Amino acid sequence: MSDCDALVIGGGVSGLTAAAYLARAGLRVIVAEVRNKLGGACESIPFGESFHAPLTQTLYALDPRMVKELKLNLKFAVRDMALAGLRADGKHIVFSRDGAARSIAVHSQADAKAWKRFRRELFSLARDMRALWWEEGTLSVSHERLEPFRRLSAAAFLDSWFESDALKATLAFDATETGLSLFEPGSALPLLWRASQEMCGLQGAVAAFAGGPQSLVQALLEATKVDIRTGASVSRILIAGGAVAGAELVSGETITAPIVISSAARRRTLNELLPTGAIGFARADSMDRALAQTGTAKVVLALSALPMFGGVPTTGRFVLAERLESYAAAHSAARAGRLPDELILEATTPTAADSSLAPIGQHLLIASVRPVPLAMNDETKARLAVKVIAAFTRHVPGMHVVASEVLTPEEISSRYGAQDSKMNIAQTLASWDERLRTPISGLMLCGENVVCGRAGRIAAAMAIRDKT
Amino acid sequence: MSLRATPFHARAAAANRGNDWLARNGVTLARVYDDANEEALAARFRCALTDISWRWRVMLEGPRVVEFLGRLVTRDVSQLVPGEALKALWLSDGGGVRGVGAIARYGKETFLLISAASDSGWIARAASRFDVGIREIGEGGLALIGPHAGAILQAAGIDFTLEPLALRKTFWRGLDVTLSRFGEHGGYEIWCDADDGLVVWDRLMRAGAPFGLQPVGTQAMDILDLEAGIARPIRDYAPARDGDAKTPTPKSLGLEKLIDASHEAFNGHGAYLAMQETRTLLGLELDSVALAPFTPLWYNGQIVGHTLTSLYSPALRRAIALAQIEIFASRPGTQLAVTLSPSAENPAFCNVTARGTGLPFLPAPLQP
Repeated sequence: MSDCDALVIGGGVSGLTAAAYLARAGLRVIVAEVRNKLGGACESIPFGESFHAPLTQTLYALDPRMVKELKLNLKFAVRDMALAGLRADGKHIVFSRDGAARSIAVHSQADAKAWKRFRRELFSLARDMRALWWEEGTLSVSHERLEPFRRLSAAAFLDSWFESDALKATLAFDATETGLSLFEPGSALPLLWRASQEMCGLQGAVAAFAGGPQSLVQALLEATKVDIRTGASVSRILIAGGAVAGAELVSGETITAPIVISSAARRRTLNELLPTGAIGFARADSMDRALAQTGTAKVVLALSALPMFGGVPTTGRFVLAERLESYAAAHSAARAGRLPDELILEATTPTAADSSLAPIGQHLLIASVRPVPLAMNDETKARLAVKVIAAFTRHVPGMHVVASEVLTPEEISSRYGAQDSKMNIAQTLASWDERLRTPISGLMLCGENVVCGRAGRIAAAMAIRDKT
Repeated sequence: MSLRATPFHARAAAANRGNDWLARNGVTLARVYDDANEEALAARFRCALTDISWRWRVMLEGPRVVEFLGRLVTRDVSQLVPGEALKALWLSDGGGVRGVGAIARYGKETFLLISAASDSGWIARAASRFDVGIREIGEGGLALIGPHAGAILQAAGIDFTLEPLALRKTFWRGLDVTLSRFGEHGGYEIWCDADDGLVVWDRLMRAGAPFGLQPVGTQAMDILDLEAGIARPIRDYAPARDGDAKTPTPKSLGLEKLIDASHEAFNGHGAYLAMQETRTLLGLELDSVALAPFTPLWYNGQIVGHTLTSLYSPALRRAIALAQIEIFASRPGTQLAVTLSPSAENPAFCNVTARGTGLPFLPAPLQP
């Protein structure tokens, strides 16, 4: 008799969702979370008293079916964040759902005309991709139209539509999340992927929860009653006869289970937790080659007043990037271990819509800076904070920074278990089977390419179906 | 720039009357010293000395070396005691044969892998996952093959009592050498420091003179290999080099006996079990002296496979070949037809009959 019917590694959104669905199917589930807190990337960054600085400021891919089926009680602070590009010349560009063309026309009449066609084309391509990402088993849909995107870079894709730097550089930021350079073949796919997701029923929307992303974790915990063990660090996954048999914890305790669903990153699960070489030497090598060489740093600033950027809604997200070429320069600097001269970042002021995140009268500005080197020493971290502050005080001269905190990509991945691999372009157009199954029978993944919760729901469904 | 030669090159050059050379694994070797058929017969019925320094050898060392080899090769090495060896394959993730070789245990945490073809990239990358050190060995090696091999070693002053698939380090009148029996032909191998190569060659040739010992080239050894039914990498098949390759399959090369299917940890195990190979390795005796390498095989009016290497066997006095053939046509004694390509002697296509034969064609040279 096993200790449980299914073991879930990791108590982030994906892991908890998988656990919830397994428990709904009547399985005895244990969740092993390495930290003493649940939530993973949805946790708050420790930052002063009575501040709640969410590590993940924006959500763009919450699975609506999961919200419905698990009856999650969620409140949104912002339902459709506008994307804005902050420009050095003060001519900020705002991509709101309705008024984008007017803002674009300031930079280029031609682009303003192309915008509507671009949106239509992008969303239409994205709908083709939804077949691959939304539900399990809808693979009969042809994705021939997407095939050329395997070789298309985000830079070439945007160049083919637009002429103005303001527009291209702002839109391009979303493509860099995956660790790919904008000039790498296939880097246009992440843009489609983003567009194929939706929040609150709006395609391509970006939202924020009231109370920060931690409230999603709370809602999940209320919706599901499973055995959750915090401080339980899995040291290795056990195999017997080619199938998964459970896991051993650092404490020496063993948890036997015929199903193991890991929300740890693919490479960590397959190359580090499984016995060395268990998945095949060639596969292990190809995963090691896909290690990201650059990452995203978080810079949190506590401010005494809400910063206002002329004409830009404060509940939006602000991208700072002058030209597409700035991305190339930043990428090569970051790969070489240097801080880029011109930082590229996305920032939000979550307190604009949700005052519960900071003491009264104070505000938070959180910047995701990428690409940056994976590791930074204290001196570089301090320099990064200074550069981020300087970038914003240019737009808001009187901005008063009360406190600041920097998290390097390495710190984020070691503390919160974020993934350390580049997005695998082949996986973007793969089936769920390829994304979630492993060569070890009974072992599933649900932590890669986090589509908030959906990977967990589908991994659980596959595991249950395999068992019966 | 000088020739990439083995430690025995000076002696080989002196003995190579036809000046007939080839390169194998990057080193120059005598292909034929005088007459390949005569050399092959000498190895079978008297005694022959051949340079095997071209074989790829790596020393694997580290606390996790047993775990590593357990993953790498198709048989369990953990039961070997120092001085023992076994033969095994290593497969790609897809189950294709990447290599075949002997794995010998030198010590608790030290093993030697010896193979006919190098696969250093794959093995080095895999070894690094287990923190296993890998070091290529460049010492010289000579094989003594034939019924008198033991007697010659005794005459030369080396204790030759050694089981097959075993090795022993020994001190031989001032030289440190290793005596092993990894070869397929029942003989002995002597491994020595490169600087001692010529001394070892001279001592063996002197001790072997009363027995008619002669150096033989790679062509004669190929004949012996073929008579023993061994498919060799490069010569007979291209080893899997892509990590996911599914071919060549172990069964199509007659190598499945080197796989212990109950040893389930090895790379490619799942893919190997799932394989549905319909071909197997068969010997062919041709009713001709003309050779038929890499030629289609006919059976009841359909093509059922093809030949691999084909050579003239002086012991059987006919051309023989290895063949990959559908299992239903692989029963020994089956009559098959081979189409010979035009040659200078016979400038037209012609069909000859061939008979399927169990492998090996001939047993290894006898040891008295």
